[in-house]
Amino acid sequence: MFKSLIDDNEKRSQLSIMAQYLNTSFMISTIENEYLVNIEKGVVKNVEEGPFVMPSYVFKLTAPKDEWLKFLKHTPQPGSHDIIAMLRRKVLKFEGDLHPLMSHLLYFKLLLASLRPVENKNEN
Amino acid sequence: MKIEKEPISGQYGKFKIDGIDYRVYWEEAGQGIPLVCLHTAGSDGRQYRALLNDKKILEKFRVIVFDMPWHGKSSPPENAKVGNYKLSTDFYISQIMSFINGLELVKPVVMGCSIGGRIILHLAINFPDKFRALIGLQSAGHLDPYYDISWLHRQDVHGGEVCGGIAYGLMAPTSPESDKFETMWHYMQGGPGIFKGDLFFYKFDGNIGNEIKKIDNSKCPIYLLTGEYDYSATPEETKSLADTIGIEMIKMKNVGHFPMSENPKEFLKYLHPVLNKIS
Repeated sequence: MFKSLIDDNEKRSQLSIMAQYLNTSFMISTIENEYLVNIEKGVVKNVEEGPFVMPSYVFKLTAPKDEWLKFLKHTPQPGSHDIIAMLRRKVLKFEGDLHPLMSHLLYFKLLLASLRPVENKNEN
Repeated sequence: MKIEKEPISGQYGKFKIDGIDYRVYWEEAGQGIPLVCLHTAGSDGRQYRALLNDKKILEKFRVIVFDMPWHGKSSPPENAKVGNYKLSTDFYISQIMSFINGLELVKPVVMGCSIGGRIILHLAINFPDKFRALIGLQSAGHLDPYYDISWLHRQDVHGGEVCGGIAYGLMAPTSPESDKFETMWHYMQGGPGIFKGDLFFYKFDGNIGNEIKKIDNSKCPIYLLTGEYDYSATPEETKSLADTIGIEMIKMKNVGHFPMSENPKEFLKYLHPVLNKIS
């Protein structure tokens, strides 16, 4: 689900300028699965899919898979279009040291949104 | 190429708010019924750039937009210090009324968005006879905090980056990217702690409980419009407010928390009929 964060993508490659001093690891959880994302100088260097025994990360974003699927639609519905919107609905939880996330909030929002399909295929 | 001039003129002026001197900047365009527009928390009057350029509106309305003290081109007061800005309900009401009185506006229409959409409710409760009509964009009677606003002002996080990041998500994915960027850019230009200081009003001091029941729509007509993508003041919250007041709300499709700025074209489709009724 989040493995393709590592793939070449024009939108993502333009994002690194917004996080050129950012080196961090964070976990994305869909409850049933986990993805450990490593970022160096604003570039996604590795995405590892769980299960993990002793994962090491700085912060974690947890939401049920169906909520992540709603977020990842080409045109998400209101309340699913933004991670803070999901936080507001209490379907997403932020945990850990949130400094890298909050100091690069737009970067992370756009990084996750870069996984949305470019074309709308009657998904709703 | 010759410069294409806009019909907007800007001006600075000094007046007292609660006995303290302030230097305030405002822009205006058009003629007729005064329409005073209030910007959102942590931003400034540029949010109303489309209204100030809308020929249809300018034929009947004198659109006036001021930057709140500490915002945009308006100055902080004398002896101001970084970190001590906190918007209270009383000060917000005072600055609006002082501006209106200072410009000698008679029975203006006041339209506010977000914190502006909240304060028009306070105006409706306290001064219903002073306004021709009140328009609330993204109005809700109260808002429980849903994220830790201390992130908006701390020295180890760039305030412009984080405030811009927060504002960006409040907009609809369907709004034009260039207008969304400009809306976010205004947030990125705010002073340290100003967005957070405004949210003190929005999330705490300005919450209205049962006072809402004091609003009498027959004394001063109220119009409430809310974008469907707003998760701060949701359409459901505006609906509940409208039900209490006994009016219909207008739910705007394809816009979020900053309708006039993030997608002016869409917003004006909803605003024109409201202004026609008022005029």
